[in-house]
Amino acid sequence: MADRDIFAEASYHFSAPAQASSPVNTFSDRSLWKLLRAIVHKPAGAIGVLFVLFHAIVVLTGPWIIPHDPLAQDPRTILAAPSWAHPFGTDLLGRDVLSRTIVGGRIAIAITAIGALLAVVGGAVAGITAAMRGGLLDAIMMRLVEAIGALPYLLFLLLLANFFTGGAYALIPALGIFYGTAVVRVSRAAALSVASSDFVAAARVRGERSSTILFREILPNVLGVIVVDGAIRWAGMLLGFSSLSFLGFGVAPPTPDWGLMISDARNVMAIAPWATLWPCAALASLILGVIFLADGAGKALGR
Amino acid sequence: MVQFRSKIALVVVFALFAASPALSATLRISHNLGYGGRESLDPISPTRFFEANQMIYDQLVRAGPDGQPNPALAIAWSSSPDLAEWTFKLRSGVRFSNGEPFTAQDAAYSLQRILSPKLASPVRSVLGIMDSIEARDDMTLSVKLKQADADFPIVLTDYRVRIVSSKAAGGDLDAVNDSGIGTGPFKVSKLDQRGTTVLAANPDYWDGKPGVAEVDIMAIADQDARNQALLAGQIDITEVTPGEIGLFSSNAKFIVQRVPAGLWNPIVMRTDTSPFNDVRVRKALRMLADRQSLLSLVVGEGNGAVACDAPVWPGDPYYNSSLSCPADPEGAKKLLGEAGYPRGLTVDLYTSAAQPIMVPLAEAYQAQAAKAGVKVNVRVVPVDGYWSTTWMTPNRPFVVGNWAQRPAAQVLNEVFRSGAKWNETAWNCPDFDALLDEARRSGTIDERKALYAKAQAILAEEGGAFIPFFRNEIRVYSSSLDHIDNVPSMMLRWHKITKK
Repeated sequence: MADRDIFAEASYHFSAPAQASSPVNTFSDRSLWKLLRAIVHKPAGAIGVLFVLFHAIVVLTGPWIIPHDPLAQDPRTILAAPSWAHPFGTDLLGRDVLSRTIVGGRIAIAITAIGALLAVVGGAVAGITAAMRGGLLDAIMMRLVEAIGALPYLLFLLLLANFFTGGAYALIPALGIFYGTAVVRVSRAAALSVASSDFVAAARVRGERSSTILFREILPNVLGVIVVDGAIRWAGMLLGFSSLSFLGFGVAPPTPDWGLMISDARNVMAIAPWATLWPCAALASLILGVIFLADGAGKALGR
Repeated sequence: MVQFRSKIALVVVFALFAASPALSATLRISHNLGYGGRESLDPISPTRFFEANQMIYDQLVRAGPDGQPNPALAIAWSSSPDLAEWTFKLRSGVRFSNGEPFTAQDAAYSLQRILSPKLASPVRSVLGIMDSIEARDDMTLSVKLKQADADFPIVLTDYRVRIVSSKAAGGDLDAVNDSGIGTGPFKVSKLDQRGTTVLAANPDYWDGKPGVAEVDIMAIADQDARNQALLAGQIDITEVTPGEIGLFSSNAKFIVQRVPAGLWNPIVMRTDTSPFNDVRVRKALRMLADRQSLLSLVVGEGNGAVACDAPVWPGDPYYNSSLSCPADPEGAKKLLGEAGYPRGLTVDLYTSAAQPIMVPLAEAYQAQAAKAGVKVNVRVVPVDGYWSTTWMTPNRPFVVGNWAQRPAAQVLNEVFRSGAKWNETAWNCPDFDALLDEARRSGTIDERKALYAKAQAILAEEGGAFIPFFRNEIRVYSSSLDHIDNVPSMMLRWHKITKK
């Protein structure tokens, strides 16, 4: 688990102002299909789509494709090496690692997906509002965002996890708030660059209402940035949530969860590496997939 | 620049070589920071720093490999015919680490302060039967008991009953005595509970000069980190779980020692808190378990023995071997129905990796409980401070505990007598206490055996502790160490250990 959140810095790729004078590419310019084709066209994007698609299929079909009950303990197969019966081996309580890995991402993905949505929507609204209003509100919000950004991310998450007690799902607001602050910064920067452009000025001169300017003029032009940034946040959140599970604050035993599986088996990593290797591989491939996909999407959208 | 660097490298290499002879005489062990850095050098403190105290202070009487009392600072003892007064002849010529001679005054002071209500030591529940303690002369100690106790010397082998200097605290019985001045084989050089505590050998130790010049006690809270520290040669000895033996067994640098022992990990139900204040619920939560399967899952066959909720282990002369506790999930369901939980029960079980098997035990029990309609939410909390903030706190009535092997007379009084400081199940049963009193008064071992057997049967039937098995101790140490007896860690004679 990294000391600092590498994903917090990733936002700088997107915070550079887009071309201010002309409207930038937006989702409305191309159909989703065209966008997907553009993403797949880049090697990184293709890998991302492949990984994410693979995980999506596994998540959706998980309960039907697992070879064993992921909770079934068996004293006869404790830390058994990979075999035909248990292709990924077994863990400390003789449970099948393959089955546990297959269903071990479901809760993390569900929670972080909702958390990411919360972070993106909340962060975008806050960021664009700050950009449009400016003044004291903007200053206060941005100092707050910077203050949170200055805290070591795991420490801050642990603080929030202690506050929002009551199981894994109670962590959704904590994750949303923490990762949302980065979205505020990115969407504010993007909105600022668009807000100063001529077509927004024109809309103001026409006497359009603020909400119209927000939804008609600004949002379509910053949506691409926000969605790509949101995907990066999601990847970061997956790692953050798994770290919390690893530390005992996320999913409670015996529910299979990658972070918890890694934590449970790390003491025996040298003699039974499979019990930590597979959940690590699953988590890493999903995070990489999401990042590659976001990267591909960013490139396809011209950023 | 390059030249400067190579000079530094040379100096470092030279320093390493120069330092190596001293390093080789240092025995390095670890402690798990269970009291979060508040570990105290007062041997009877509730947060005693046992790893250091066992080397700094001596006992009057120490437990031999068979659990029977052996001479230490007391060289001989005898009792009055009614077993209510005990006289100890003390070892002469022993000095404290500050040079003061050890006398019966110090021994009397050390025992008297155990009774101090202000200090509120957990040992008080073990030795509360002491009435008056006096030094008859410099080398004779007399202890009058409130009631007869045939096993009083066995009770004195308690790992915390150690002799401190009475002068160090000005003779004040209510003062915390954490000076570190003892008669033991090592003395404190540097106390740093959160870092490395350094002890230096006492060359004049009465039982012979220690085999190493120094002992370093490092704070390592995490079991995996301890294993890695041992593998990397940063510490010399540690306890491991059965699952971790493989890390060391095929490595010639390490020796794996399996020590038959009665370590136990209860799942504690507070008998004064709902729903565990209902004896049917307690019984059901014990009945549902398949102990043999828990034993094989959590510690492995051959690394322990099935227990029936009584804390006296099979190696103890007072062990009740007639208890049986087969798994009966259907019976458990029925009992829960009678207790008002016809559709099962949901409970939060708190645990931590304070002892590495404590989390797997909770998970394995959780799976068995589910079959009897009991939903156990396993809550894993951090190791640091587990014993001060989770265990024995009123809002955590269902937790996993961890106990070392203790003689019957000690463990039954310390953990199950009503009002005892570490009575983790809040067990309050006058009949049970009366049995313990009667056992102490009994003159013959057969009588005591029968009475302690009854006490164990009561715990198995109604008590608040679910004790699925006794564990052996598995110790791994560097092959550079020698003279490590095959006894539980708490009985190890550290000054005999040598290091190549």
